[in-house]
Amino acid sequence: MKYSLVLAALLSVASFAADKKEDATVTQVAPAPSNVTPSNVTVVCPTGSCSKPAEVQKVEVINPVEISKPIEIAKPKVEEKPVPKKEDVLDVQHDLLISVVGQGVAPVNTSSPAQAYALAKRAAVADAYRLIAEKVKGVRIDGQDLIKNMMVKRSTVRTSVQAMVRNANIVETTFKEGLCEVEMEITLSRAQFPQ
Amino acid sequence: MRSRDGDYSFTRSISSIIFLLLYSSAIFADEYIISYRYSVKNATLYNETLYISKAMKKCTGKPYDTLILDPQKSENLKEILLANQDEFIEFLYKIGLSVKHREETLNGVNDSSTILTLPSKCFKVDFNDNSVKIAPLK
Repeated sequence: MKYSLVLAALLSVASFAADKKEDATVTQVAPAPSNVTPSNVTVVCPTGSCSKPAEVQKVEVINPVEISKPIEIAKPKVEEKPVPKKEDVLDVQHDLLISVVGQGVAPVNTSSPAQAYALAKRAAVADAYRLIAEKVKGVRIDGQDLIKNMMVKRSTVRTSVQAMVRNANIVETTFKEGLCEVEMEITLSRAQFPQ
Repeated sequence: MRSRDGDYSFTRSISSIIFLLLYSSAIFADEYIISYRYSVKNATLYNETLYISKAMKKCTGKPYDTLILDPQKSENLKEILLANQDEFIEFLYKIGLSVKHREETLNGVNDSSTILTLPSKCFKVDFNDNSVKIAPLK
């Protein structure tokens, strides 16, 4: 009985001493988030038990997963200008294919549908030639406006094209309701334009 | 046994026949000056002319592109060309045409005219029995 009382007293003293020791080492541990490893651990020394006066020591642990991530630096927003589409340019290595559709109508007084077709096709070919000339060589444009007493009296726009077109091919011809459409193509190569 | 003289005359006649057969097209070849023009006004054909004339002077240059037409039992080039008008005009498109276009918009009313011209050009024309060969000279 005596021994049991002494043993109980010793145990209680030992447990008390152990409690005291735990209080002196770690008072608070920051709880770590469930998915991320703890990045900040704060150790607070109780007053009197540490050699230095009460101060807060910060230990920062950088997560290695975060190191591997690229660091994003916020850039000032610059307005993006619309990039113009690269146009087909006549190059030494590449030929340029120009395709146009000319339109023409048959005259009113024709003797047969066949004649109407033939005449409309001529007009459509001329229109297609004109379109090719416009694309390859360009158009001359003159404009004139006559204004009198703050009113436009006469407005004139004159355009003219003059060119020599060789090696143009008729690709397709359609004739529908008096309107003839002719698709023509011309292939341009750099060698055709001596410098 | 044949004499030498007989052999020589026989060979000469045969070679002359072969020569004539080979160069028969060259014998009947002619040179023509052709020009073509048509105008379109407000998208409607207005006028079309085809001028054909025999060359009065020998043309210089070499034929560079050939069109073969059916003569249709005629020896007149103009008749042959008119009978095969579509083929010939497509051939002219290939050779090249001069384009002159003028357009005017007055108070919103548009008026346009286009003239396509084949400048006077010398063509070599070979008349055969079943075909006519036409080639421009360059």
